[in-house]
Amino acid sequence: MRSIYSRSGGWPKMSNRRPVLLAAISVAAALAAGGCDKSVGPFEVLPPLEPSSLEPTAGSWRMILLTGPSQIAVAAPTPVASAAYTAELDAIKASQANLTDAQRQAIAYWSGGGVMRWNQILRELVARYNLPPAPKDEGGYPVPDAENPFGDPAFPFANPVYAARAYSYVSAAQYDALKSAWYWKFQYNRLSPARNDNTVSALMPVTDLPSYPSEEAVISGVTVEMLKSLFPAAVEEVTVKAAEQRNAALWSGKATASDLAAGLALGKSVAAVFLARAAADGMRTAGGSPVLWKALADSATARGEIAWISQDIPARPPMLPVFGQVRAWNMTPADIVAERPPPPPSTTSQQMKDETAEVKRTVEHLTSAQLAIAQKWNDGAGTYSPPGHWNDVALEYVRDSKFSEVRAARVFALLNMAMHDAGVGCWEAKFHYFNPRPSQLDPTIKTEIGLPNFPSYTSGHSTFSSAAASILSYLFPSGAASFASMRDEAGISRLYGGIHYRSDIEAGKLHGARIAGYTLTFAQSDGAQ
Amino acid sequence: MMPKRAMRWLILVAVCASSARAQTIDDGIMMPKRTLSAGVLYAHDSWDHYWEGTLKRTNGNIGTLTTQSVTWVGGYAVTDRLGLMASLPYIRTHASQGVLHDLSGLQDLMLAAKFKLLSTGPGRYGMFSVLAAATGAIPTSNYTPDFYPLSIGTAGRRATGHVTMKFHSNSTWFANASAAYMWCANVRLNRNSYYTDGQLYLTNQVVMPNVLDYTLTAGIDRGNWRIPVSLVQQRTLGGGDIRRQDMPFVSNRMDFVKLDGGVMYALPGNLSINLGAAHVLSGRNVGQSTTFTSGLFYALHL
Repeated sequence: MRSIYSRSGGWPKMSNRRPVLLAAISVAAALAAGGCDKSVGPFEVLPPLEPSSLEPTAGSWRMILLTGPSQIAVAAPTPVASAAYTAELDAIKASQANLTDAQRQAIAYWSGGGVMRWNQILRELVARYNLPPAPKDEGGYPVPDAENPFGDPAFPFANPVYAARAYSYVSAAQYDALKSAWYWKFQYNRLSPARNDNTVSALMPVTDLPSYPSEEAVISGVTVEMLKSLFPAAVEEVTVKAAEQRNAALWSGKATASDLAAGLALGKSVAAVFLARAAADGMRTAGGSPVLWKALADSATARGEIAWISQDIPARPPMLPVFGQVRAWNMTPADIVAERPPPPPSTTSQQMKDETAEVKRTVEHLTSAQLAIAQKWNDGAGTYSPPGHWNDVALEYVRDSKFSEVRAARVFALLNMAMHDAGVGCWEAKFHYFNPRPSQLDPTIKTEIGLPNFPSYTSGHSTFSSAAASILSYLFPSGAASFASMRDEAGISRLYGGIHYRSDIEAGKLHGARIAGYTLTFAQSDGAQ
Repeated sequence: MMPKRAMRWLILVAVCASSARAQTIDDGIMMPKRTLSAGVLYAHDSWDHYWEGTLKRTNGNIGTLTTQSVTWVGGYAVTDRLGLMASLPYIRTHASQGVLHDLSGLQDLMLAAKFKLLSTGPGRYGMFSVLAAATGAIPTSNYTPDFYPLSIGTAGRRATGHVTMKFHSNSTWFANASAAYMWCANVRLNRNSYYTDGQLYLTNQVVMPNVLDYTLTAGIDRGNWRIPVSLVQQRTLGGGDIRRQDMPFVSNRMDFVKLDGGVMYALPGNLSINLGAAHVLSGRNVGQSTTFTSGLFYALHL
């Protein structure tokens, strides 16, 4: 018996075929080399924020909910010459002498700008909670319960309109809180620790912006209070993040303990004003009831139309059918009704037959480029939603413009108020008309992306995107052509996906632009432009 | 003798091609040198239960997910110790319920080189051999990896190293043990953000976890018949679970244990046929699929 390690008779025969062997090995190696690109990026990189302006007049910019910048009082700080202040500086210096790598990473992370960082975190929370409840074994669906946010289903189901509202509350509250902070900063004019004492290192860019109250603490306080209400199961991580933001401001020499304490108190107080509004804005009853769901269908049938039905299996209650009555930011309930788009083509009309046929033709002959557009703008379950997509778009402009925190907050507040109002208006129209999806009128139509569980007319994507493009074009005129192109692409992506008729998209775009007009009216007279 | 040995080699290609993710070239058999082979394999795979993470469930919006494939396979034995092979499947997926569209297309070209590193015998009990193989897979069309469970593949390049130990008794039975390690390149999506494994990623690139496979095979090899039965385990070395009521995602941790059996028969005229069946016994982020395969192969000694 030969040893199993014997190679006798093996290799000599190979000699004249080595090139083939080498070729095979090189093919495999080339493929393997492609497997080495494991790290992904770039993420949204936020370099240390060096604002192009201190915005000394921001304290006088028009408020959204607060009656004025001094509605919430901030007591005068201790003088720079006081022993108490010196002790605070000493505490910073002691911290700076022993910074850990983790502390330096926290400083680097938060130096990118608090408004933009929290916008990223908020998009992550939306993506995490944007999942519909799973059906119950015995049939039907459970309802997410704010009193049991850690359960199955989790609370919230951060669907597109829940998300639009959440983005708007966080952004609007941050904006009012920062305007108030700016008012007090220039009222008291206490400079940052690194400016007051040159033995304090400036580990973040430090400007002549007064640091009492600290804008980092204001942002952390207002944001975490809003998020605890909107995403209660995330309380631990957002609390940790908020504390880290304040600590980073201290370690970096940007704020003292009293700058932070004053900012935190101000931020929390502003959040309370916004949370009081949120508690009574109609969201709690936006889910409707079985009686209401039936009434919506009966109303469509009474008009001679085919009523929308859920195509989820098992059939799922419609997504927040009363969201159209949730309070808007810059429109009255009468405005919402007045701006409602005209009726869609009748479900029995030739135009609707033609448009349904167009959807079918499109999905059956979809090109790779069309599929790429449908997927790029899908923003469906498990994503940061269409409003999140436009926050993603906006962030790069905010970053590249080197906006101060207060001006960055203005961008996100205007953008998200307009998209919330677009969501309210769109949902009012959807549930007023209760129009079926293409795949309901023609069950042979299959979709290239997930089918949203609410009526078709008008397209939510088109409405959100048109509103967003209008606001961003006002704020960043140089990007107007790009925003318009993205708006059109987002709209038509729904036809490519097989989930909307062309008339849903066209009406949604017009509707979104009209709705954005109300927020633009606010913006044009807010004293900031 | 020649046709039969050729057939064995082809069977191995067939086993490889029938697996959902490029599998090992693990039967431990080499074709005699200068044998050219080609074949076509049809596979029908379906499941109605799947694991959402570790939770086994059905989904009314999927019903039964059926994947059918027709795979061309070809090979050439350069020497008795070195074989080259290639395969290319056309795949179609279909959900029996819900509104999601079918997907279909040419999937990934797989190229492989296989060596017999060493062999003994025939000794007192039988023959023992060790083989190594390297395979590479590359997508041949721009199919989408972003529509699981209907996507026809991961749309990413992969390279795999395999080692197989084989024992063939002096009577009719044989046993193999194989392991394979697959390196997976990043996959690109058409969108700039996605959420997986507890994190939002703001990029269009997805890091794909590498994959380990183990296969244990025992079987009978007698006359024109060859009947192997395998236990296959796939372990994905990373990736997140499917979240509650979420769609699956390309980089999910897809694990399974599968029982796989086959019957191969050599026909006259250098032809052979094979029939196979496989069933997933347990899994994570995969369907509990049952797969039936049938193939027809032809070998030619040049």
